[in-house]
Amino acid sequence: MKAIITVFEGFGSTLQLLVQAASHLGSLPRQRARFIEQCYLIGYTTLPIVAILSFFIGSVLALQAGYSMQNFGAKQFIGSLVGLSMARELGPVMVAILLAGRVGSAITAELASMKVYQEVDALVTMNIPPARILVLPRLAAVLVMVPVLAIIADLVGWFGGAIVAKNVAFISIEPEAYFSVLRRYMKFQDVLNGLIKAETFGFVVVLVCCNIGLNTRGGPREIGAAVTRAVVASLILILVLDYFVTKALM
Amino acid sequence: MPALPPSPAVTTRESPAAGVRLENLSKRFGSHVVLQDITLTIEPGEIFVLMGPSGSGKSVLLKHLVGLEAPTSGRAWINGHDATAESTRALVRMAMVFQAGALFNSLTVYDNLALFLREHRLGSEADIRTKVRHALQILSLAGTAAKFPSELSGGMKKRVAIARALVMEPQLMLYDEPTSELDPVMSATITEIIASLKDEYHVTTVVVSHDRDLALNIADRVGILMDSRLIFLGTPAELRQPQDERVARFLYPQIDLAHPRYKQLET
Amino acid sequence: MNQLHQTARVGLFFLLGLALTWVTFETLSGGKLFRPEGYALVAGFESLKELKEGDEVRMAGVKIGVIEKTRLAGRRAEAVLRIDAGTKIASDATASIIMAGLIGTNYVGLDLGSATAAPLAPGSEIRTKVTPDINAIMTELSALGQKLEGALGTFGTSVNGDGKNPGLFQKLDQMVTTNSVRIDATMANLQAITGKLNRGEGTLGKLINDPTLHDELVAAVGEIQSTATQAKSFVADAQGILAQVKSGKGALGALVYDEAAAQDLKAAVANLRAVSDKLAKGEGTLGKLLHDDTLFTSAQSTLRKADRALDGMGDSGPISAVGIVATSLF
Ligand SMILES: Nc1ncnc2c1ncn2[C@@H]1O[C@H](COP(=O)(O)OP(=O)(O)OP(=O)(O)O)[C@@H](O)[C@H]1O
Ligand SMILES: [Mg+2]
Repeated sequence: MKAIITVFEGFGSTLQLLVQAASHLGSLPRQRARFIEQCYLIGYTTLPIVAILSFFIGSVLALQAGYSMQNFGAKQFIGSLVGLSMARELGPVMVAILLAGRVGSAITAELASMKVYQEVDALVTMNIPPARILVLPRLAAVLVMVPVLAIIADLVGWFGGAIVAKNVAFISIEPEAYFSVLRRYMKFQDVLNGLIKAETFGFVVVLVCCNIGLNTRGGPREIGAAVTRAVVASLILILVLDYFVTKALM
Repeated sequence: MPALPPSPAVTTRESPAAGVRLENLSKRFGSHVVLQDITLTIEPGEIFVLMGPSGSGKSVLLKHLVGLEAPTSGRAWINGHDATAESTRALVRMAMVFQAGALFNSLTVYDNLALFLREHRLGSEADIRTKVRHALQILSLAGTAAKFPSELSGGMKKRVAIARALVMEPQLMLYDEPTSELDPVMSATITEIIASLKDEYHVTTVVVSHDRDLALNIADRVGILMDSRLIFLGTPAELRQPQDERVARFLYPQIDLAHPRYKQLET
Repeated sequence: MNQLHQTARVGLFFLLGLALTWVTFETLSGGKLFRPEGYALVAGFESLKELKEGDEVRMAGVKIGVIEKTRLAGRRAEAVLRIDAGTKIASDATASIIMAGLIGTNYVGLDLGSATAAPLAPGSEIRTKVTPDINAIMTELSALGQKLEGALGTFGTSVNGDGKNPGLFQKLDQMVTTNSVRIDATMANLQAITGKLNRGEGTLGKLINDPTLHDELVAAVGEIQSTATQAKSFVADAQGILAQVKSGKGALGALVYDEAAAQDLKAAVANLRAVSDKLAKGEGTLGKLLHDDTLFTSAQSTLRKADRALDGMGDSGPISAVGIVATSLF
């Protein structure tokens, strides 16, 4: 019972935070420096891990597909299988999960420590709403950076698949054939679909992590607990949202 | 009283000092009663010093004035506006020196001081620099502008927190133990600053302090919080000859090594 | 300075993202979402079969456009062809849906039309023609099986239910001698078919991936099997012949060309005396078969049809399957 109330409180305060942040949208041009800094942290520094992971996910996808399809002669469709899975599902979900683990946790830790050490209180007495300078730049940055990460994840994953398809003996599909099948069975719509999903996930992850951070109470020990809570909540939300967003976009 | 030389830090302020009124204010944390039925009026331009034993709820009371805590019952008014309303902070400029400093750890000392002015677009970057440098100079912090809070000593942090509040040129200034952690000379300096700010700019000041010298020297009135109630409210003169025995024991404790207090507690 | 560094990196990173998105968009949609190039033609079909948006339009094998849209228009299906600008389509050119493979990769093929015909205006309709697809071929094959079954059934009763009319085998000798040329031709046909069946090997996998194809095939094989049962019962009646067939190479050709077999046949035939006359007069079904040219001609044309049906299937996959089954049956 108490847990359910906590969950609803979380939803409520998250929405409230979103509304507050949105009400300060006009201040965004003046916060250019903060926005750029957050873009750097959320996008640029997350790129290497996204690239590495999507490369291997694409490779494994091709390997598994090749292994299971070789028995009934459908392995020439690996290109479209890797292409579609990466673009529509794995790319966006993977980017979101990495964001939750890498960026979301850092955001929660930072905001929670600001809360615990009364920095947030200081902002409030200065009549500087935390939603304006702490939340808004992050939300804006994630909206701008996530599509970039997602498209890179897609492309790197495709190339990972292509490399495996060519070099693994029992698959042996030339990149030209791989990409021709990928092109034939994919539309840009599929990629766009994935970008919208990634955008949704990324936005929700950052918003939720900000909210949990700002609502931390107590001492330093609570900072760690808040980070754990934020990451777990993010992961659950990503997968639950995944179902609904996928359904909505069909 | 001697006035500080005219400083660029305050020349722009025209708004009058703020008055504070607490009406039957009570605060509980769960079942733990911290404040009980506090009624108090602080006049604009007054220096009010709040004293009391550790854990008696002084910091909690200050937080009620800036709306960081909401009363369980009763009200707090600032210039006639409800202190818990967010709009009040936009109407009345308030600054608070937190007991633990509450400096922005990710910003340099300079940026800590400049943040308020920048966010509210109070002057050009050049104006801001003049004001910040002036405030740092007053508090002997000139060399620390580029440092981060983690690189400062406890006393320096406190002074940066005071400087940050000064730069805001507030109508209501709240200090939570400004002179603890400071050496006697620096304590005296801070006390002088508090007094002259009031004199010169007519700012309303609430100081939470255990510093008897400070209270007796600069306070217009003193309040003593004990057992969640305001047990004393009067002038420093009245405080020198306390009628209430609890006040006398709190202000002028006897150090009796033959019968230490902690041993009396055991019996 | 550091801030500038950061801004530059973030800016570059964002531009990289934009560029990659653009490249992906161009590759996957050919950039045609924003600026449709060329002109559209409408092709109406009874069924679009496996055709879908994005498939190619080819003229004489050269890609000249894509399927922009597929839609249902009243009682027919329409495909909107987006033809590259600069490609002229003669007004008497016809479009047909062509299978590029067995697994559903199709394209619309246009023929060149006549050189003198005026080009089609954008938005106008192009003539279409129906081409058999794999399903149609399988249906035809199944019908062929039924025909064969019918023919062999008649053949069987002519031997089985004909106790009153002996002399059949007496005339068999004569039949073989006098009709050797015709039988030769028939056998050559048969051999050509079995040869084709045997050669077609290797892509059974493709066939099995399509469930409808598979069902068709099972049905067809069922037909062929029941036909074969008929054939077997017929052969079982002529026990002496059967023995020879078994000791021989297992093909009908051996029966006809093997000397010893012919001798045995003669000996067997010699035991049945009373059949010859009626057969010679063209009485009885078998007699008719031997003397009536139209019956023979129709049998031959059936075989030729089978031959053509097999030729018509560009892909040899299903044929090799039929081939394997048929070989084992015979
Ligand atoms: N957020 C809170 N939740 C629960 N209890 C609190 C909270 N803040 C303060 N308290 C309790 O309220 C009481 C008063 O705390 P407060 O910080 O006001 O003391 P103080 O008078 O400022 O003491 P000190 O002189 O040591 O600073 C303490 O017993 C403390 O435990
Ligand atoms: Mg305190």
